[in-house]
Parts: sequence; C-alpha cells; structure tokens
Amino acid sequence: MQQPTPQPTPQPTENATKYAWTVPPDRTRVIGTSVPRVDGPDKVSGRAKYTYDIARPGMLHARAVRSPHPHARIVSIDFSAAKAAPGVRGVLTWKDPGTEVMYQGDVVAAVAADTEPQARDAARLVRVEYEVLPFFSSEAAAMQPDAPVVFPNGNTQAGQTQETGDLAAGFAAAAHTLEATYSTHVITHVCLESHCSVCEWNGDQLTAWVSTQGVHASKQQIAGALKIDQANVRVICQYMGGGFGSKVTADAPIIIPARMSKDLGAPVKMVLDRKEEHLDSGNRPSAFARVRAGVSADGMLTAFDGVTWGTGGAGQGANFPLPYIYQFPNRRRAHTNVYINTGLQRPMRAPGHPQGCFVTEMLLDELADLVGLDPLELRLKNLPPTAPDAMWAEYYRMGAKQFGWDRRHPTGDRNPGPIKTGMGVSANQWGGGGRAGAAHVRIQPDGSVLVQCGSQDLGTGTRTLLPVIAGETLGAPLDAIRAEIGDSNLPFAGVSGGSTATPGIAPAIRIASGRARDALFARVASALDAAPEELAAGDGRIFVKAAPERSLAWRAACKLLGQEPITADGQWEPGFSSVNTSGVQFAEVTVDTETGIVKVTRILAIQDCGLVLDRLLAESQVYGGVIGSLNFALFEDRTLDPRTGVMLNPNMEHYLLAGMTDVPQIDVVLMDMPERGVIGIGEPPTVSTASAIANAVRNALGVPIRSLPLHPHRVLAAIDAHTNSGGGPA
Amino acid sequence: MIVEVEVNGKRHRRDLEPRLLLSDFLRQDLQLTGTHVGCEHGVCGACTVLFDGEPARSCLMLAVQADGHKVGTVEGLAVVNALSPLQAAFREAHALQCGFCTPGFLMTLTAFLRDTPNPGPLEIREALSGNLCRCTGYQHIVEAVSRACGHPRP
Repeated sequence: MQQPTPQPTPQPTENATKYAWTVPPDRTRVIGTSVPRVDGPDKVSGRAKYTYDIARPGMLHARAVRSPHPHARIVSIDFSAAKAAPGVRGVLTWKDPGTEVMYQGDVVAAVAADTEPQARDAARLVRVEYEVLPFFSSEAAAMQPDAPVVFPNGNTQAGQTQETGDLAAGFAAAAHTLEATYSTHVITHVCLESHCSVCEWNGDQLTAWVSTQGVHASKQQIAGALKIDQANVRVICQYMGGGFGSKVTADAPIIIPARMSKDLGAPVKMVLDRKEEHLDSGNRPSAFARVRAGVSADGMLTAFDGVTWGTGGAGQGANFPLPYIYQFPNRRRAHTNVYINTGLQRPMRAPGHPQGCFVTEMLLDELADLVGLDPLELRLKNLPPTAPDAMWAEYYRMGAKQFGWDRRHPTGDRNPGPIKTGMGVSANQWGGGGRAGAAHVRIQPDGSVLVQCGSQDLGTGTRTLLPVIAGETLGAPLDAIRAEIGDSNLPFAGVSGGSTATPGIAPAIRIASGRARDALFARVASALDAAPEELAAGDGRIFVKAAPERSLAWRAACKLLGQEPITADGQWEPGFSSVNTSGVQFAEVTVDTETGIVKVTRILAIQDCGLVLDRLLAESQVYGGVIGSLNFALFEDRTLDPRTGVMLNPNMEHYLLAGMTDVPQIDVVLMDMPERGVIGIGEPPTVSTASAIANAVRNALGVPIRSLPLHPHRVLAAIDAHTNSGGGPA
Repeated sequence: MIVEVEVNGKRHRRDLEPRLLLSDFLRQDLQLTGTHVGCEHGVCGACTVLFDGEPARSCLMLAVQADGHKVGTVEGLAVVNALSPLQAAFREAHALQCGFCTPGFLMTLTAFLRDTPNPGPLEIREALSGNLCRCTGYQHIVEAVSRACGHPRP
C-alpha cells in the first residue's frame, strides 16, 4: 500500500493551537460520536414550522402567471378580468409587453388574493397575448448550423480548448484507442418543500420567511433586487424541506411577494406548485462527450481527446470536469454550452461532477476490456498519487475486499437465463471547504448556554452541530445548550452549498466556545483554588487538570457568575478545516434482459470528510447522496416534448423517484481523518453511484452503456443495438 | 357546506367550500401544519393522515368528504408532549433529514404497526413504498421501525 505523502502544514493561528480539535484523554469526546439531531422532536411531532407552514395575520397569497410557450414575445397583458375576480387585491407585471419569455414556466405576471384558490383562479383570468417564436427543445436542434437565432448572443457558446501534453504522442503510444459518445440527462431538484416565501413589511423594514440555503445571502440579494438597505431586511428560515442547490437565488418567488406586500400593505405568501417547481426552480444540466482515448498495452492511459457540450437551459452554461480524477498525461478538451428553451440550471449537489464522473468511469471500463485488465486494476494504475486528500487507491483496495470484488465476472454474465448480475466501481472527489462563518456563545448564570450562528439547516443537521461543538468545548451537558440558526439577524454565515457550510461555521463555533470557556475559567478559578490555566472542562464539570477531584458541576460553576453572563464571539480561522475529499463506491446489480429492469442489490460507499463531527449526520449525508445518485442512474429524467417544447412529466408520478423498495442495503464506511479538520460531505457521495451502477449494468450485460438514465426501454434498446451490430446475444 | 369532523379527538364544525382539499383544511383552517403536501397528487405520501384509522392521502380528498369521520394527524401522535415509541425511534435512529416527509411516514407506519406489530425489514419497505423521502433517509427509517418494535438493527 502506498504511503500518504505529507501535506504542507499551514502556519497555525494562535487560536488553532489553543482550541485545536484534539481532546485530552481525561475527557470524553462528544465530537465524532452519534448525537441524534436536536430538532428531531420538533420534526416528528409536526411542531417544526417550515416556511411553507408560516401564516401571518391578514396574509395574502400570490400566484404567478407563467408562459405556456417555450419561446414567445409578450404582446399584451390584460388584467381586467383578474382584477374583478373575488378576493383579488393586486396584480403585478413581471415582464413588460414587448419582451420575450424564453421557456415554458417563465414568469410574466402575478396576482395576489385573499386565499390561495382565489389567487389561482385569478391568475387563470390574466389574458396574455403572445407572439409565438421559434424554440429549441433539444441540444441537437440548437446545434444545427441552419438553426434560427433564438438566443441573441448565439445559440451556442464555445469555450477555450484546453490542451496538456502531446496528444499525437499519446495516441502513438496507445496500443488501443476507443471512440465513443457518452451522455447524461437533465434532472430537477424536486425539493419536497417547494420554493416559497412570506414577506411582511413594517415601515421600511422587510421581514422575509424564505425557504433558502442562505439567510444572509438571501437578505443581500433581496436588498439588491428591491434597492433597499441590507440593514432593513431580515430573512428567517428555521426549517426547510430540502434545497440540493436550488435554493440559493432570491428570484421571483421571493421578489414578487416582497414587492406585492409593500404595494398592498399586507403580508404576502407565495408557494410554487409541483409543476412550477420542475419548470422554473433549477435543474442539473445535460452533458455530452464525444471522446477518443488511448491506453497502452500494460493499461496506462495515454491520451484523451474530448469534444463536449451540454445545456443549462435558456442561457446558462453546462460545463463539467473532464477527464475526472484519473490521469491522462496527454489530453485535449473543447466544451460548448448549448442553449435551449427550458428553465435555467442551478447548482445541484456536486455541480458537474456526476457528469464528468460518468463519462470517465464508463470510458475506463471499456478501455480495461480492450487491454484485458480488471477495471479496478486499470484504475489503480492511473490514479493520482495517494495523499490525505487523494485516498482512492487505498479505498479501492479496501472496498474490493469488503465488497467481494474477486467474485466479479468478466464483462457479460455468461450464466444462462434472463437475469444477469454485474458489479461496477467509481470514484469521487470534491473541494468544499467554507471560509465564511461567525458564531456567538453566551453562558448564562443558570448554566444554560445559547449558541448562535446565522447558518441554516437544509435538512443536513447543521443545527445539531452547534451543541455538539459547543458541548465538547465547554464541557457543558448537551441538554443545557440551545442552538439558534436560520435568521439573518444572527452572526454571518455563508450559504449551505458546495459542502462549505460545516467547514465554514465549525471553526467559528469552536473558537467562540473556547473563548467563552476560558472566560468561565477566569471567573471560577478562585473557587477551585487554582489558576484559570490549570482548569479543564469536560463531562459536565469544570475541574483542576492535575487534581480532577477538585471540580465543580457545570451548573454550580455557572452559578458563580452571579448576574453577569459570559459572551464570546468567534470567526472562521484557518487550522480548523480544510478542503478536498475522496471516496469510492461499489455497486452490484441484477438486470432482467427480458424486461430491461435494473435492480441494485448492494452498494458500498467509502468516504472521507476530515474530522467527523457527528457520525449520524455524516453517515446520513452519504446514504442520501448515494440514493440521489441511484435516482440519477435509474429513475429521474426531465422529458420534453420535441414538438411543443413543453415538459411532459412536471409531476412526481411520471418524473420517477426511488422509493423504499428500489433501494438496496447500503454500507457506508466513513474514514475519520481528525488531523485534517472539518471538511464538508454533502456533495461527494452523490457523484459516483450512478456510474458504479451503470458499469455494473455493463458488466452484467456485456453491451456498451454510454448514456443515462437506464430506464428499462433504454436498457432493452442497448441490448438490441448490440445484438444487431453483430455483438452477439447479451 | 357544513362539515362536522373529529380531528385528533377534537370535534370541529365548519362551513367549508366544497372544493377545499382535506390537506388545506387541516393546514389552513385548523393550523395543523404538520401535515405536509409534497407532490400534490397522491404520489409522495407526505400528506398521509389517518381517516377512520386508515392511512389516506389528504391531498386527494376533499374536506367535505371528512364529514362525520375521524381524522388523525401527526400532531395527535404524541401523548402530552412525550413522543410515541415510533416518534422516539425516528429521532434516535436519525430516520429523517429535512423532516418534510416525516409526518407522512409516521402516519403510514402508525396504521401499519397497529396491524403488523412485528414486521420484518422487507415488510417495512413494502409498507412504506408509497412514501417518498427526497433527502433519502430510507435506510435509517427501516432501522427506526425495527427499533420501535424492539428489534436490533436489521
């Protein structure tokens, strides 16, 4: 096994030494144990109030009027019938006549009424006259040389070609070359709680309850959009029903109610329905890659030449990292963004990585077959050198043993009968590493503790990290600690996105808690007949390090504060968190060659994320990421009608999501690396499951699998195409 | 229409619009916002309530259909601020992430565990196949149900 190469050690700050994550052996760890989430009771009892649950006295309901066309010019908007409808209080023009709507679901106008049904009724009564314009419903249509100009700056936008090494020499050194086109499809975020907000003005101050991944970011965006002072906006998000990257922009569902609330002098709520959610709340861009690649006779990758494209909808890019992780010494890549008339992409859990991972990992299995090597062997030969942030080789070897990789058969299950089995592997990486976080800690004389941080909890468990970190640092019992998040009036924190939330706020909470603890030591030291620096805190007590029997229970120590609480602040500093994670996943499937149905039977995920703060939360992120990626491989698919450009499955019935019985046993191995500090784990686990599954399907069938999703009819088509091309029965 | 309905043991008499959904009645008229609506058409199961003791999708029912019936919501599961064994197990086993789907899972399971007190893991998965979790805490949910039945990790 290769030894990890040492990482350069950054100069630690004074606080990084003073409040380092290490815990002396005389104290019990809280960090890294399995602490149940603190908001569990609220969530299982129905008490948790999501933005969607917020009701304010006198609240009105807003409803958007949206374009039914993929591309059209607004000729006129007639509100007269809508204004006369029961309960209607106001209307708003979002896009002026003469301007264009660029996709189905693009917002044109809005109405506000006393009740939600009245708002819906009235929105239907708004008469919008459209001049229908040409549109694209596929990348191929937009890329036709004779395509009409739908996007004024060009229907496509080519990026700079990137080239490294000597491509010709690379191909000359290849014993085998392969040319193939790989692709992945568009999926949408499908947050169970749709995008929503409630806006209420008090004079020139706006309070907005928003389902958002960033209360501070939202506040700044809202202030910018309304041209008001940031100090006059307060954004609150106590509980939210998922975001996955789609809730980082303060767009129409926030700005419409904010503006209408101001105009109408009443709180206004706006909640998107499921169809609006699919059409206009973000999506993961498509990816296409026409690849030529070379491999030497002994399985070393020699060359990669990729032409790639994809769409992020009506004017958004679709780039992705390629080749992914594995080292091609000679490579070239040219990417083109293609614009089509659909809603715009938004970051979706590990933006770009699942796409780049799929193309690369599928290619690698095909190259391994050309050389006649086990796909895992080929991977081990071509990984970057092992390092603490690049542990793939070690994890692959570990995983192979645990998963029983030696039982994998060569490509194509030779067993008779229609059910074929197969195995696949795939690797992931992510940078992450947030730098934006501040926290405030207050120790009350009665022993209760308040920890505040203006982060937010998408569902990942952020709120629980506050008592976990403060509890261990202060030595206070967990049930004495109250956590406050989800309010832009609390100390600044960055968005919960890109796996940056935890590494952004954990250092701040640690430092604030450490300072509060030291202040407490200073106030209680004389009672223990010791100097403050001789004290330690842990297990609900303050004690003398050299003589632990000289101690005070937490609440008794706090009582010595008299009336004056202790307050302390902390901000992110280097030395507590770092960047870059690595992980690998193994999948086993069965494929029914008569029906095309793929069943995943087992998944193993090995993942690191630096210091594990709460094992339950971290594991939960991996489970969720794996199943999200399984959905990407086998179920989800935004389907457009090529003739009309409208989405055919803007619901949850025909837009498929895995349920309980679609999900196999998932084994998660979390690699704890406390010495690396905190690293986020939201993104990496969702990168590689889809390609591990797809390679397992390829292994089962012995036919090329080059695009997702693996819906039954597509699996059958892949088998047929292979049989018809003379590839023999699968 | 005048509707009389018993929700979580409490009787309500209201004059309701015939088109009002049961889910909207619970959430807006009674402020029982623990019942969530995810897909709006009976697929995701987040809005599951007990209708005369049986799980039902409140987004697919009209409030007027509940006239003369008993409805149970997640707010009725806990007894005097103490979590039910199932609720406690969901918390301990970390059987939720964002928690938006959780009330629906709990209501489906309340009826299921009443009829099937000692389910195996496959039975649990089958029983919950009509409830979707987008953050996908499925594995922990199965564990929570086993725990609530007094079983070790499946």
